[in-house]
Amino acid sequence: MMKIGPETPVPASSGRLRRHARLGTACSTILAAFLCSNGLATAQNRDSVTVCQTLEPTILDPTASAAAAIREVTYANIFEGLVGFDRNSKLVPRLAESWQASPDGMKYTFKLRAGAAFHDGTPVTSADVKFSFDRAGAPDSKNPQKWIFEPIGAVAAPAPDTVEITLKTYAADFLEGLAWGDAIILSEKSVAKAATEPVGTGPYRFVRWNRGDRLVLERNDAWWGGKASIKSATFRFIADPQAQVSAMLSGDCDAFTNIGAPEAVDQLKKDGRLVVTIGSTEGETILAMNNAKAPLSDIRVRKAIAMAVDRKLVNEGAISGFGTPIGSHFSPNHPAYIDLTGEVKFDTKAAKALLAEAGLANGFKVSLRLPPPAYARRGGEIIAAMLAEIGITAEIEPVEWPQWLERVFRNKDFDLTVISHVEPMDLNIYARDGYYFGYSSPELKAAVAATKTARSEAERKAAFEAAQRQIARDQVNAFLFMLPKITVAKKGLTGMWPSWPMPANPLAELKWE
Amino acid sequence: MLRFLARRGLSMAATLLVAAIVIFVVLEILPGDPAVAMLGVSATAENVAAIRLELGLDKPAFTRFLYWISGLFVGDLGISYSYRVPVAQLIAERLAVTVPLALLAQMLAVLMGITLGVFAAARAHSRLDAGIMALSQLGVATPNFVFGILLILAFSLTLGWLPAGGFPGWGEGGWRALRALALPAFSLSLPQAAILARITRSAMLEALSEDFIRTARAKGLTRGQIIRRHALPNALVPVITMIGLQFSFLVTGTIIVENVFSLPGLGRLVIQAIGGHDVILLKSLVLLFVGAVIVINALVDIAYGIVDPRLRKMPR
Amino acid sequence: MRRALSHPSFMIGLVLTGFIVTIALLSLFWTPHDPGKMQILQRLRPPSVQFWLGTDQFGRDIASMLMVGARNALLVGIVAVGIGFVVGMMLGVFAAQHEGSLLDEILMRLLDFTFAFPAVLSAILILTFLGPGVVNAVIAIGIYSVPIFARLARGAALQVFSRDFIRAARLAGCSRLSILRRHVLPNIAGLMIVQASLQFSLAILAEAGLSYLGIGTQPPNPSWGRMLFDAQTYMARAPLVAVFPGVAIAMAALAFNLLGDGLRDLLDPRLKER
Repeated sequence: MMKIGPETPVPASSGRLRRHARLGTACSTILAAFLCSNGLATAQNRDSVTVCQTLEPTILDPTASAAAAIREVTYANIFEGLVGFDRNSKLVPRLAESWQASPDGMKYTFKLRAGAAFHDGTPVTSADVKFSFDRAGAPDSKNPQKWIFEPIGAVAAPAPDTVEITLKTYAADFLEGLAWGDAIILSEKSVAKAATEPVGTGPYRFVRWNRGDRLVLERNDAWWGGKASIKSATFRFIADPQAQVSAMLSGDCDAFTNIGAPEAVDQLKKDGRLVVTIGSTEGETILAMNNAKAPLSDIRVRKAIAMAVDRKLVNEGAISGFGTPIGSHFSPNHPAYIDLTGEVKFDTKAAKALLAEAGLANGFKVSLRLPPPAYARRGGEIIAAMLAEIGITAEIEPVEWPQWLERVFRNKDFDLTVISHVEPMDLNIYARDGYYFGYSSPELKAAVAATKTARSEAERKAAFEAAQRQIARDQVNAFLFMLPKITVAKKGLTGMWPSWPMPANPLAELKWE
Repeated sequence: MLRFLARRGLSMAATLLVAAIVIFVVLEILPGDPAVAMLGVSATAENVAAIRLELGLDKPAFTRFLYWISGLFVGDLGISYSYRVPVAQLIAERLAVTVPLALLAQMLAVLMGITLGVFAAARAHSRLDAGIMALSQLGVATPNFVFGILLILAFSLTLGWLPAGGFPGWGEGGWRALRALALPAFSLSLPQAAILARITRSAMLEALSEDFIRTARAKGLTRGQIIRRHALPNALVPVITMIGLQFSFLVTGTIIVENVFSLPGLGRLVIQAIGGHDVILLKSLVLLFVGAVIVINALVDIAYGIVDPRLRKMPR
Repeated sequence: MRRALSHPSFMIGLVLTGFIVTIALLSLFWTPHDPGKMQILQRLRPPSVQFWLGTDQFGRDIASMLMVGARNALLVGIVAVGIGFVVGMMLGVFAAQHEGSLLDEILMRLLDFTFAFPAVLSAILILTFLGPGVVNAVIAIGIYSVPIFARLARGAALQVFSRDFIRAARLAGCSRLSILRRHVLPNIAGLMIVQASLQFSLAILAEAGLSYLGIGTQPPNPSWGRMLFDAQTYMARAPLVAVFPGVAIAMAALAFNLLGDGLRDLLDPRLKER
């Protein structure tokens, strides 16, 4: 049960009180008592917080699985890297107090923070860093983002608080990569338990995990950054959008990281006890096309499809219009973003004409494989209806994630799919050979390579702009919108990240006012 | 009697074994690779090979089958691919939701079904009877997920009395957990209650038409006494049989109802295991459901054999 | 007395079934709106003159979708029950002809065995394997009704085989096939039809359940179960969107249950439920 202190504000909700008053007369029987017993659930304990989110991780080790849910729970809470991202995507020091890059950018020297220690008490040393990076870059590594470690030539530990990393190939994004959740520092001693009982270095330590329901963390008082404000933190996992809304309204959750029911935003906003913030994620949501397969290999057909899809209505129908429209595969939050949404205008007639030009005036049939998230399933249904208008029959097939990964992503057995690419700065996927879009362009590869080899910010920005234009021009996919982050929090709870430069909910930033 | 039990037990074991083989074979050929499922879009061939090795997927199917079956006997069901904890532990955690849910629903169904059935039979061919029977027709025709949604609409969204879904866990006090289970159990129990009401009514009518009732009436017992002391106990045998037979429907009903109310029970775990392509978890889960049905059906059979007067008279 | 009592429920069943069939047939030629037409800016409208039962989350006309949904439900019922009926009857009569043989034993054991697999769970697995979709759902539901029909047909056929007129026909030199056609099938048909009506209702419920879980009928084909699932998310805003498909499912199941019960009473009063 929660404690009710004298300083604890008890949110007064007239609607709720009235409801209970009305019920009061009926509360004499056991049944009624049963129905009435949630009256105190809204009293607030300032020492604890319950943060709710949609997806539950299956394991907690981000170096063994790509699932975003792992990062949402562990990033900057349990685990830390040498560096990290803050809420504005700015690179900040974490376990490394400072660092220096050699003038040619081929050697990095990190100075580790004094006082940084694992939750079991062992101090963080350069040996742990060497162990973690060698492990992540090893041939048998299961790390989902191996590209981060590929440029590394050698990791040296000349002193317990000094790490020297020598690169074998220059990478402009090397430091950025180290800020990802995949580049966390683990101890050789406890690495085996990282999946189920993680021992990290962050401001919160793992306590227990009731799978299917909640995960409990406790403040790590010995954290190098000082004590966090809230002592005990619980992540609760609620998959069903309707249940998410009721959990917020009933006070069971103090905050929801990204509520899955955008259609309920109006209802939540009306509740005076809650604050709703609409931010953005790094999830470029696209109608992905198989560029290697006829008739989608014809750029006119891809253009026609892109023209037939009314991005605004898809946004409206799938996520209640909270997405930010995009015209290429790049986040509007990035300084190098250029607005290309005007490149292709919604125009059914022109789309039909293009199809006729491609010799497909009578339309054709395609498969449309949809992964489980609501944006994909709903968006896909709307897109299918829009494509029907220009004579294209899109056969919808819902698939679970493993099937999507196996059939669409791995075997490229698809025509169309709706998907959100949630990783930050992932434009480089268009330059990968064998990637599931089936797209290959020397111009784009050159542009992406230039973003890696760029020696100045201006040079890098120009390269990113060229890449965005190239992808839009080739109409690799139909670009829809950035997925929103709809944060709901109780009034009085501050510090939730309004946007997600990456999936993360740093608990040390939360505070009850 | 002993021979009867032995024979029944043996055939039950055989059925379980065949079921295990069928489940294993079917799940082996499910499309999808658990290793890929875990690594997601950035998986490299090296990654996948490393995971397959760790999961033991490089061993031949027959070896894995033997591991699984022998493990069943010592309670070691292997480590879940996606959760990386023992499958037995995962299942045990979820049982704490599904078993109370099923029992609660069964209790409600028996309570409502028998009461309504007895009332209907006691006032046979009256308006009350017709009303109860009409309701039971509706109850049989309405699937539990439709009930679930209507109940959420009424008791959560409109009245705000009970949670619309989710489960706070037993750690927060039994009261809150019970409140979370109330609507799911109720929606699960309604179709069962409707069937039980119909069975009870016809069994009661049959019992009431028998000779000993006439004798009792002649002895001057009141109608209530006759129903309570004579008719009901006699009508219970078919009713109990029906409860047993319906239990398997109840158990599988939890799969859908747990999804309607997003309860972290076994039924939801099944869907999650499919979603994560967690074959090792899925096969034990499916076997658990199938095994529960097989065992319960066998128990009903045995109980029927024991309770049935004709068998009772047989020399032991 | 019994006959008189059974008639009202039969009549209600008949009227309801007639209503659903009419609506389904009508939807072939006419619906108030195009059921696939999305008007996203008109979404979740309450019932009005323009949209009789309101609009769904994509602004489609719910009345039109329910009408086409009725067609979908009936089609699923007809095909699934058809599979179960034909295959089940053939297996059952075949087993009855070879009563006591090893073949009969194996067949019956196999059928018993399928009862051990809970229907919902098996259907979910079958659909994960075959891929979701209404065709596969119908197959799964159909397979599941085979044992029920087979057991019933076997039992009924055994009774018929033991009757004197069969022996007489055999002695008269009638071929096996003609005995089956002239005597056995007509005699078990009534029972099978009653069961078919009840199975029809179960098939409609099963399809609704699978579509609710997202693995049955796929969009853009409207299905009552799927409509219900879609509506659940929007229930706080538009409760009626969830109520209508729920009512449709229950009404259809009720119609075929009542029809089956009524038929049973009319065809053979002795079969009245225990």
